[in-house]
Amino acid sequence: MHKNFGDVYAVQGVNFDVQAGEIFSLLGPNGAGKSTIISMLACLLEPTQGDALVMGHSILRDPMAVKAAIGVIPQDIALYEDLSARENLNFWGKMYGLRGAALRQRVDEVLGVIGLAERQKGRVGKFSGGMKRRLNVGIALLHKPHVIIMDEPTVGIDPQSRRNILDNVKELNQQGMTVLYTTHYMEEAQELSDNIAIMDQGKIIAHGTHDELVKIVGELDRIDLTINAEAGRVLERWQATEGVHQVSAENGQLTLLVDDSNVVLPRLFESASRGGVRITSVEIQEPNLEAVFLHLTGRALRD
Amino acid sequence: MKVLDIALKDMLRSFRSGFALVMMFVVPLLITGIIYSAFGGLGGDGGFDLPVTRVQVVNLDQPGPQFSFSLGQMLVGFLQDERLAELLQVTEAADEANARAAVDSQDAGVAVIIPPDFTTAALAPEGRASITLYQDPTLTLGPGIVKGIVSQFVDGFAGTRIASGVVADQLGQRGVAIDASLMQEVAMQYGAWAEALGRSRGEGAHPALDIQPPPSKTEPVSQGAGMMGPIMAGMVIFFAFFTGASTAETIIREDEVGTLARLFTTPTPRAVILGGKFAAGFITLIAQVVVLMLASAVIFRIRWGEPLSVALVALGLVVAAVGFGLFIMSFLKSTRQAGPVMGTVLTLSGMVGGLFTTGIPNLPAAYDTINLLTPHGWVLRGWKLVMAGGGVGDVLLPVLVTLGMGIIFFAVGALVFRRRFA
Ligand SMILES: Nc1ncnc2c1ncn2[C@@H]1O[C@H](COP(=O)(O)OP(=O)(O)OP(=O)(O)O)[C@@H](O)[C@H]1O
Ligand SMILES: [Mg+2]
Repeated sequence: MHKNFGDVYAVQGVNFDVQAGEIFSLLGPNGAGKSTIISMLACLLEPTQGDALVMGHSILRDPMAVKAAIGVIPQDIALYEDLSARENLNFWGKMYGLRGAALRQRVDEVLGVIGLAERQKGRVGKFSGGMKRRLNVGIALLHKPHVIIMDEPTVGIDPQSRRNILDNVKELNQQGMTVLYTTHYMEEAQELSDNIAIMDQGKIIAHGTHDELVKIVGELDRIDLTINAEAGRVLERWQATEGVHQVSAENGQLTLLVDDSNVVLPRLFESASRGGVRITSVEIQEPNLEAVFLHLTGRALRD
Repeated sequence: MKVLDIALKDMLRSFRSGFALVMMFVVPLLITGIIYSAFGGLGGDGGFDLPVTRVQVVNLDQPGPQFSFSLGQMLVGFLQDERLAELLQVTEAADEANARAAVDSQDAGVAVIIPPDFTTAALAPEGRASITLYQDPTLTLGPGIVKGIVSQFVDGFAGTRIASGVVADQLGQRGVAIDASLMQEVAMQYGAWAEALGRSRGEGAHPALDIQPPPSKTEPVSQGAGMMGPIMAGMVIFFAFFTGASTAETIIREDEVGTLARLFTTPTPRAVILGGKFAAGFITLIAQVVVLMLASAVIFRIRWGEPLSVALVALGLVVAAVGFGLFIMSFLKSTRQAGPVMGTVLTLSGMVGGLFTTGIPNLPAAYDTINLLTPHGWVLRGWKLVMAGGGVGDVLLPVLVTLGMGIIFFAVGALVFRRRFA
């Protein structure tokens, strides 16, 4: 699929398959095009070019069938704040065609799943951010969709609500739901996904299981460190240091990909002190998706 | 029936909002009531009895040296106007803390806090004057009334700003530079005009009606009722159009909070979603019009006329109000715009439609024709015909015209919205 907004090329020829029953993550930084893809799959936006099949239904030719098969969790919380949690679920359930006793039972179940049974009569406007997020998730589960599409469902919430949501995702997946998950948190993609597509600037730049992706950086080590001066004072020198493959600096933190940290670290300390700069913290990391992103784009994934 | 589900959800939401209820049902009766009481109805067995709300005002307004007047002071005067004395008992508090304390201890129902930059913000080209209302949460009616009155005042100055902006624009095009004192002059002129207009609305009918102590107990009721009918009709129509616009505004609001997009992700056709909103407006408006007509028949002894013709005219009103509301809202981008634009457009179209001048006899005939440029004017005409004893045949033309206008407005609005959310 392609999607342009005027001369902004938000999605540029993205192509992927999600197997039934798996959790598939789109991992990418802000503006990568994740939400745009989700919007097209949810039939909210038409692709400029291309098409997608959801459960065999074309998003262009049979949007109603697509919508009935999926549950969409929008990135921005979309609830009626002047209604209670239960009233929200009731209303959205009806929009998915549930009625009467079936609706009542399903609302009760979902309230249990998202842990809001006790607050079901409370007005949503008075809920905490985490509670709203959980309700935001619950709405998409009402009609037991085959596919759940989640757009960064954990942004800006407390650890407890985040845990609830991540556990729900795994639980739902075990019950057989297929999950398309987007995030810019590497840890979430790593914890949840069977397959991951890493996105940047409208394109998928790498694609595979977590282990396959990490192999891209091979045997390299990753070092995160901070210094007591501007990154610019060491950047060029370190880039030229033997054994260093890549250096990036963001928000006062430097991230390096190196051959063997045991060998390279002393060189870094030496070159820093020659330049009159102090290294104030060092952390050596296993190669991870963060490192893959750095390796492929020269930039850090975190925001 | 998803259409009904959506309609019921919208109605539940609007009936939960105290402000909407006050605007729909209380304010129209209240304004008519104020006019009614101005003609002596309250003195005797007015049958119109509202509790007096105690209000604490703190005026911190300190207009800059460029202003020779204080809007804060004007607002205080406005609230203390004797015409409102039946409703509000206004005291000035020494400072904000005292005023809030009075509300906390239930010595007052509402505190109105006018900020230091009120004049400056209200008259600045991009300014946004804001007033804090601190209210006793156990009350709804009194604070609602105060809110309505304060908004009316502030909107009046939004009008001022528009007027001076227009003048500045026009002069600018002719190469005349504008200085601050000229702008202020324009604002003052407009203010004086708006005030005079307000006064003529309230008092204009005096000479014709010749207010004197009623000679007997029964006479004045029917005399009053004869005049109250058109005034109340004007109010019903005005506030019905307000409800129509508020209904359509929920589309923009839902777009802003993301629930509209979420609705689009459910297997619900867009026509059903729009239809649900339309149905909500339709049912709410029917309830509003029926309640207002029944209430005013009881309170002000208004006889609306022959039931079938009344029902037809009311139906025309409902359709026109829903259609016109959707039409206006389809041009707006955000709810931030919606408030002021709605106020301005509805007030202007109501004015052109003759809704505020129903109590003034002997207006030039041309004015009747101007009224008919708007759906409001046609509804009003139908209503006047019914009240004058007209039957179905008499009201048919105005009813058909209002229905037609309503449908056309609705169609255009729906098209614009469709394109926007395509
Ligand atoms: N309606 C729109 N009009 C114009 N540009 C848009 C629109 N929606 C998205 N874009 C642009 O498309 C690009 C991709 O945006 P998108 O929201 O899909 O990114 P994202 O990966 O979801 O980012 P985030 O993590 O911040 O949510 C961005 O450059 C964005 O500014
Ligand atoms: Mg996004």
